[in-house]
Amino acid sequence: MTYKVEEIENKRIVHLDGEIDMDVADKSRSTILPLIEAGHEVQLNLSKVTYMDSSGISVLIESKKLSEEKKTKFELIEVSKPVEKVLAMARKFL
Amino acid sequence: MGETAQLNHTEKKAFLVNSSSLKDVRIFCRDVFEKLHIEQDLKDELVLAIAEAAQNIVKHAFKNNANANELMVVQISCENKKLEIAFYDRGTPVDPKKVKHREIDNVKPGGLGTFFIQEIMDAVEFRDGNKPWINHLVLTKQL
Repeated sequence: MTYKVEEIENKRIVHLDGEIDMDVADKSRSTILPLIEAGHEVQLNLSKVTYMDSSGISVLIESKKLSEEKKTKFELIEVSKPVEKVLAMARKFL
Repeated sequence: MGETAQLNHTEKKAFLVNSSSLKDVRIFCRDVFEKLHIEQDLKDELVLAIAEAAQNIVKHAFKNNANANELMVVQISCENKKLEIAFYDRGTPVDPKKVKHREIDNVKPGGLGTFFIQEIMDAVEFRDGNKPWINHLVLTKQL
Protein backbone atom coordinates (compact mmCIF):
# COMPACT_ATOMS: atom_id res chain seq x y z
CA MET A 1 0.00 0.00 0.00
CA THR A 2 1.18 3.51 -0.75
CA TYR A 3 -0.40 6.82 0.11
CA LYS A 4 -0.34 10.51 -0.67
CA VAL A 5 -1.77 13.37 1.40
CA GLU A 6 -3.02 16.58 -0.22
CA GLU A 7 -3.38 19.68 1.93
CA ILE A 8 -6.08 22.22 1.15
CA GLU A 9 -6.47 24.72 4.01
CA ASN A 10 -7.75 22.65 6.94
CA LYS A 11 -8.71 19.77 4.69
CA ARG A 12 -6.49 16.72 4.18
CA ILE A 13 -7.24 14.45 1.23
CA VAL A 14 -5.66 11.05 1.77
CA HIS A 15 -5.17 8.91 -1.35
CA LEU A 16 -4.54 5.25 -0.63
CA ASP A 17 -3.28 2.88 -3.28
CA GLY A 18 -2.96 -0.92 -3.53
CA GLU A 19 -4.16 -3.62 -1.16
CA ILE A 20 -5.22 -2.90 2.42
CA ASP A 21 -5.07 -5.91 4.69
CA MET A 22 -3.98 -6.70 8.22
CA ASP A 23 -0.36 -6.35 7.22
CA VAL A 24 -0.69 -2.70 6.24
CA ALA A 25 -3.73 -1.63 8.29
CA ASP A 26 -1.48 -0.06 10.92
CA LYS A 27 0.25 1.99 8.25
CA SER A 28 -3.06 3.36 6.98
CA ARG A 29 -4.24 3.90 10.57
CA SER A 30 -1.10 5.86 11.43
CA THR A 31 -1.54 7.93 8.27
CA ILE A 32 -5.17 8.89 8.86
CA LEU A 33 -5.79 9.05 12.61
CA PRO A 34 -3.15 11.70 13.45
CA LEU A 35 -4.69 14.01 10.85
CA ILE A 36 -8.10 13.67 12.51
CA GLU A 37 -6.52 13.94 15.95
CA ALA A 38 -5.02 17.26 14.85
CA GLY A 39 -8.52 18.52 13.99
CA HIS A 40 -8.28 18.32 10.20
CA GLU A 41 -11.22 17.51 8.00
CA VAL A 42 -10.18 14.29 6.27
CA GLN A 43 -11.36 13.03 2.91
CA LEU A 44 -10.33 9.55 1.90
CA ASN A 45 -9.86 8.61 -1.73
CA LEU A 46 -9.95 4.83 -2.20
CA SER A 47 -10.34 4.82 -5.98
CA LYS A 48 -7.00 3.02 -6.42
CA VAL A 49 -7.44 0.46 -3.67
CA THR A 50 -7.65 -2.96 -5.30
CA TYR A 51 -8.43 -5.01 -2.20
CA MET A 52 -9.67 -4.28 1.31
CA ASP A 53 -10.49 -6.69 4.10
CA SER A 54 -11.99 -6.33 7.57
CA SER A 55 -8.79 -4.74 8.87
CA GLY A 56 -9.23 -1.89 6.40
CA ILE A 57 -12.90 -1.51 7.27
CA SER A 58 -11.92 -1.27 10.92
CA VAL A 59 -9.59 1.62 10.11
CA LEU A 60 -12.52 3.42 8.44
CA ILE A 61 -14.73 2.82 11.49
CA GLU A 62 -12.03 4.02 13.88
CA SER A 63 -11.48 7.12 11.73
CA LYS A 64 -15.20 7.91 11.69
CA LYS A 65 -15.51 7.48 15.45
CA LEU A 66 -12.47 9.66 16.13
CA SER A 67 -13.79 12.38 13.82
CA GLU A 68 -17.03 12.43 15.79
CA GLU A 69 -15.10 12.71 19.04
CA LYS A 70 -13.00 15.52 17.61
CA LYS A 71 -16.06 17.15 16.03
CA THR A 72 -14.47 17.23 12.62
CA LYS A 73 -15.35 15.55 9.32
CA PHE A 74 -14.24 12.24 7.90
CA GLU A 75 -15.64 11.09 4.59
CA LEU A 76 -14.98 8.80 1.66
CA ILE A 77 -14.89 10.73 -1.59
CA GLU A 78 -14.05 8.00 -4.10
CA VAL A 79 -14.27 4.26 -3.76
CA SER A 80 -13.11 1.53 -6.11
CA LYS A 81 -15.43 -1.32 -7.07
CA PRO A 82 -13.66 -3.91 -4.88
CA VAL A 83 -13.88 -1.60 -1.87
CA GLU A 84 -17.53 -0.78 -2.57
CA LYS A 85 -18.35 -4.49 -2.56
CA VAL A 86 -16.70 -5.01 0.81
CA LEU A 87 -18.37 -1.89 2.21
CA ALA A 88 -21.74 -3.17 1.03
CA MET A 89 -21.16 -6.43 2.87
CA ALA A 90 -19.93 -4.61 5.98
CA ARG A 91 -23.06 -2.42 6.01
CA LYS A 92 -25.15 -5.54 6.61
CA PHE A 93 -23.07 -6.11 9.71
CA LEU A 94 -23.10 -2.49 10.83
CA MET B 1 -19.50 -18.74 -13.75
CA GLY B 2 -18.20 -20.55 -16.81
CA GLU B 3 -17.13 -24.21 -16.87
CA THR B 4 -16.01 -24.18 -13.24
CA ALA B 5 -18.34 -26.86 -12.09
CA GLN B 6 -16.97 -29.33 -14.61
CA LEU B 7 -13.49 -29.26 -13.11
CA ASN B 8 -12.32 -31.50 -10.30
CA HIS B 9 -9.19 -30.00 -8.89
CA THR B 10 -7.21 -29.87 -5.63
CA GLU B 11 -4.25 -27.74 -4.66
CA LYS B 12 -2.65 -26.95 -1.35
CA LYS B 13 0.12 -24.71 -0.17
CA ALA B 14 1.86 -23.97 3.12
CA PHE B 15 2.45 -20.43 4.36
CA LEU B 16 4.36 -18.99 7.26
CA VAL B 17 1.98 -17.85 9.98
CA ASN B 18 2.37 -14.08 9.86
CA SER B 19 0.54 -11.13 8.42
CA SER B 20 3.00 -10.78 5.56
CA SER B 21 1.82 -14.15 4.24
CA LEU B 22 -1.74 -12.95 3.71
CA LYS B 23 -0.86 -11.44 0.37
CA ASP B 24 0.66 -14.76 -0.72
CA VAL B 25 -2.49 -16.59 0.41
CA ARG B 26 -4.54 -14.29 -1.82
CA ILE B 27 -2.20 -14.81 -4.77
CA PHE B 28 -2.45 -18.60 -4.34
CA CYS B 29 -6.25 -18.48 -4.17
CA ARG B 30 -6.59 -16.22 -7.20
CA ASP B 31 -4.34 -18.54 -9.15
CA VAL B 32 -6.41 -21.63 -8.26
CA PHE B 33 -9.72 -19.87 -8.93
CA GLU B 34 -8.35 -18.74 -12.27
CA LYS B 35 -7.75 -22.39 -13.16
CA LEU B 36 -11.28 -23.20 -12.05
CA HIS B 37 -12.65 -20.39 -14.27
CA ILE B 38 -14.57 -18.86 -11.41
CA GLU B 39 -16.07 -15.53 -12.43
CA GLN B 40 -14.59 -12.34 -11.05
CA ASP B 41 -17.23 -11.30 -8.50
CA LEU B 42 -17.39 -14.71 -6.89
CA LYS B 43 -13.61 -15.00 -7.02
CA ASP B 44 -13.24 -11.71 -5.13
CA GLU B 45 -15.67 -12.89 -2.46
CA LEU B 46 -13.98 -16.26 -2.04
CA VAL B 47 -10.54 -14.67 -1.82
CA LEU B 48 -11.85 -12.35 0.88
CA ALA B 49 -13.34 -15.24 2.87
CA ILE B 50 -10.13 -17.26 2.65
CA ALA B 51 -7.94 -14.30 3.53
CA GLU B 52 -10.13 -13.52 6.55
CA ALA B 53 -9.88 -17.12 7.75
CA ALA B 54 -6.10 -17.03 7.35
CA GLN B 55 -6.02 -13.71 9.17
CA ASN B 56 -7.96 -15.28 12.04
CA ILE B 57 -5.29 -17.98 12.32
CA VAL B 58 -2.55 -15.33 12.55
CA LYS B 59 -4.50 -13.14 14.96
CA HIS B 60 -6.31 -15.62 17.15
CA ALA B 61 -4.82 -19.09 16.91
CA PHE B 62 -1.35 -17.62 17.28
CA LYS B 63 -2.21 -14.24 18.85
CA ASN B 64 0.14 -12.54 16.37
CA ASN B 65 2.98 -14.42 18.02
CA ALA B 66 3.79 -17.48 15.95
CA ASN B 67 7.16 -19.16 15.96
CA ALA B 68 9.12 -17.85 12.98
CA ASN B 69 8.88 -21.22 11.21
CA GLU B 70 5.27 -22.03 12.07
CA LEU B 71 3.18 -23.00 9.08
CA MET B 72 -0.46 -22.97 8.11
CA VAL B 73 -1.75 -24.93 5.13
CA VAL B 74 -4.52 -23.87 2.79
CA GLN B 75 -6.09 -26.52 0.58
CA ILE B 76 -8.63 -25.72 -2.13
CA SER B 77 -10.64 -28.58 -3.62
CA CYS B 78 -13.40 -28.52 -6.18
CA GLU B 79 -15.35 -31.68 -6.80
CA ASN B 80 -18.79 -32.14 -8.31
CA LYS B 81 -19.51 -28.40 -8.16
CA LYS B 82 -18.64 -28.23 -4.49
CA LEU B 83 -15.81 -26.00 -3.41
CA GLU B 84 -14.07 -26.94 -0.17
CA ILE B 85 -11.35 -24.84 1.41
CA ALA B 86 -9.45 -26.37 4.29
CA PHE B 87 -7.09 -24.67 6.72
CA TYR B 88 -4.65 -26.49 8.98
CA ASP B 89 -2.66 -24.91 11.77
CA ARG B 90 -0.95 -25.80 15.04
CA GLY B 91 -2.06 -22.80 17.07
CA THR B 92 -4.20 -22.61 20.20
CA PRO B 93 -7.14 -25.02 19.86
CA VAL B 94 -10.18 -23.12 18.64
CA ASP B 95 -13.45 -23.50 20.53
CA PRO B 96 -16.03 -23.31 17.72
CA LYS B 97 -18.68 -22.06 20.17
CA LYS B 98 -16.60 -18.94 20.75
CA VAL B 99 -16.17 -18.16 17.06
CA LYS B 100 -18.76 -15.52 16.30
CA HIS B 101 -18.94 -11.97 15.09
CA ARG B 102 -19.19 -9.10 17.51
CA GLU B 103 -21.79 -6.38 17.87
CA ILE B 104 -21.52 -2.99 16.23
CA ASP B 105 -20.10 -1.16 19.26
CA ASN B 106 -17.20 -3.59 19.36
CA VAL B 107 -16.25 -4.03 15.74
CA LYS B 108 -12.80 -5.50 15.34
CA PRO B 109 -11.20 -7.20 12.36
CA GLY B 110 -11.78 -10.72 13.65
CA GLY B 111 -15.46 -10.11 14.31
CA LEU B 112 -16.16 -8.48 10.99
CA GLY B 113 -13.95 -11.01 9.25
CA THR B 114 -15.94 -13.89 10.67
CA PHE B 115 -19.11 -12.17 9.50
CA PHE B 116 -17.67 -11.91 5.98
CA ILE B 117 -16.77 -15.60 5.97
CA GLN B 118 -20.28 -16.57 7.07
CA GLU B 119 -21.86 -14.27 4.50
CA ILE B 120 -19.81 -15.62 1.60
CA MET B 121 -19.60 -19.34 2.35
CA ASP B 122 -22.39 -21.91 2.66
CA ALA B 123 -20.85 -23.63 5.65
CA VAL B 124 -18.07 -23.07 8.18
CA GLU B 125 -16.99 -26.11 10.17
CA PHE B 126 -14.20 -26.97 12.57
CA ARG B 127 -13.16 -30.59 12.26
CA ASP B 128 -10.74 -32.61 14.35
CA GLY B 129 -7.20 -31.63 13.52
CA ASN B 130 -5.29 -34.83 12.79
CA LYS B 131 -1.67 -34.77 13.91
CA PRO B 132 0.48 -32.80 13.44
CA TRP B 133 -2.30 -30.27 13.06
CA ILE B 134 -4.39 -28.88 15.91
CA ASN B 135 -7.03 -26.83 14.10
CA HIS B 136 -8.76 -27.87 10.92
CA LEU B 137 -11.24 -25.35 9.55
CA VAL B 138 -13.30 -26.19 6.48
CA LEU B 139 -15.26 -23.67 4.43
CA THR B 140 -17.61 -24.96 1.74
CA LYS B 141 -19.64 -23.46 -1.06
CA GLN B 142 -21.74 -25.00 -3.75
CA LEU B 143 -20.84 -23.54 -7.13
